[in-house]
Amino acid sequence: MIVLDNVRKWYGTTPVLNGCSARIAAGETTVICGPSGSGKSTLLRCINALESIQQGSISVDGVEVTAPKTDLCALRARVGMVFQSFELFPHLSVIENLALAQIKVLRRARTAARDRALALLDRVGLAAHAEKYPLQLSGGQQQRVAIARALAMDPRYMLFDEPTSALDPEMVGEVLAVMRQLAMDGMTMVIVTHEMEFARQVAHRMIFMDQGQITADCGKQAFFDPAQQSERIRAFLGGMAQRRITP
Amino acid sequence: MSYAFDWSSIPRAWPFLADGMAVTAVLLAVGMTLGIAFGTVLAVVRIYAPRPIALLAAGYVNFFRSVPLILTIFWVFFLVPPLLRTVTANPYLSASPIWSALAAFVLAEAAYYCEIVRAGIGSVGPGQMRATQALGLSRIQALRYVIVPQALRNMAPSLANQTVSLLKDTPLVYVVSLTDFLGAAAAIGNRDGRIVELYVFAAVVYLALCSLGTWLADLLQARSRRRMAAQ
Repeated sequence: MIVLDNVRKWYGTTPVLNGCSARIAAGETTVICGPSGSGKSTLLRCINALESIQQGSISVDGVEVTAPKTDLCALRARVGMVFQSFELFPHLSVIENLALAQIKVLRRARTAARDRALALLDRVGLAAHAEKYPLQLSGGQQQRVAIARALAMDPRYMLFDEPTSALDPEMVGEVLAVMRQLAMDGMTMVIVTHEMEFARQVAHRMIFMDQGQITADCGKQAFFDPAQQSERIRAFLGGMAQRRITP
Repeated sequence: MSYAFDWSSIPRAWPFLADGMAVTAVLLAVGMTLGIAFGTVLAVVRIYAPRPIALLAAGYVNFFRSVPLILTIFWVFFLVPPLLRTVTANPYLSASPIWSALAAFVLAEAAYYCEIVRAGIGSVGPGQMRATQALGLSRIQALRYVIVPQALRNMAPSLANQTVSLLKDTPLVYVVSLTDFLGAAAAIGNRDGRIVELYVFAAVVYLALCSLGTWLADLLQARSRRRMAAQ
């Protein structure tokens, strides 16, 4: 379980997170949405300590992320992350991308790491590209490799930071398909995305953020039911639907 | 009146010239490899170490970049042995010209290579570091396996440039009476009264070496680009 308790963060004097609290239970798929600049990505990065927080606390399976004694490397190995811009290592082949952290962090044997890597590449439909270099692949393929790379660490949680925002529209589907499969397999996922249709399909929970605050945290049914939602969220969802029609 | 060229000095003096070339080659090879290694450490320290240590490294770099190389060679030869004698309390310690010249080149070149590698590390986006952190790699592992390899690839042309100028600086070792290739050529030219021929020969050899080095660097970079980039 990931527990956020009254998390506050400032950039200088500008508040970016204004007391965010949430609990994310194992097996749940949580989608965080909200307007740009509302702190969604920042909140996500705080969970694996890529960003520091100034107040409040975050714990992952009971381990305090912000405690000075916490072994951050061990914690991060348990929390996989997928970035908007993939961030594959361009000088390493696809399979080496997947093997590196397994060998260096989990201390797996080289052959075991490669076997695991190949199995995961097969799972995301890219086993044939194992020896290629990331920039030889399409954006959608790169993002699937990035997902496989995170999964290679056998994480208990997966964080997705706008995983489809940098993709050409025709490649969004293949990445979402991989994520959908992952959700069905019971992986605990926290996804920051603007793909509302995808959220409608896979999310168990919806978190809506606005100006650094969590203004809604509810089940999917309630979130997408206009009768139960605030004016602000109706406007946001309306805007999103609009965006879909006129790209 | 025309000058009659006579190139026969060169084959006759070949063993002596080859010895000089060996000195040049050792200075180049050691200056480059240890210079890049030490320079990379300095660059990493300048970027990632706590401020006081980073400032110390910055001071080192600025110092050696400001001092003429010839002065560094002098200092290491004349000042370091007495200093070491005092520190180690061993009155018989001395430094041969080749060792002190090698030390001087590594010390000075590291400062230049440091600035190149620092720019190279800057050219690797911050997202790469974030990705290594998210995977649980330590900072040192991230630098060693992800950041520095990319930095060195990005900086290959600048590193080659610096190495070419290192090659052209090697003749400065004459100040500690070390005979490198140019020194050997000059000595033979003087002895045989064939200064023009020997200097022409030396120029051709340096030109060939520099061209070879630049070509090799281009080749290496093109290969890594081809591998990394979309085709």
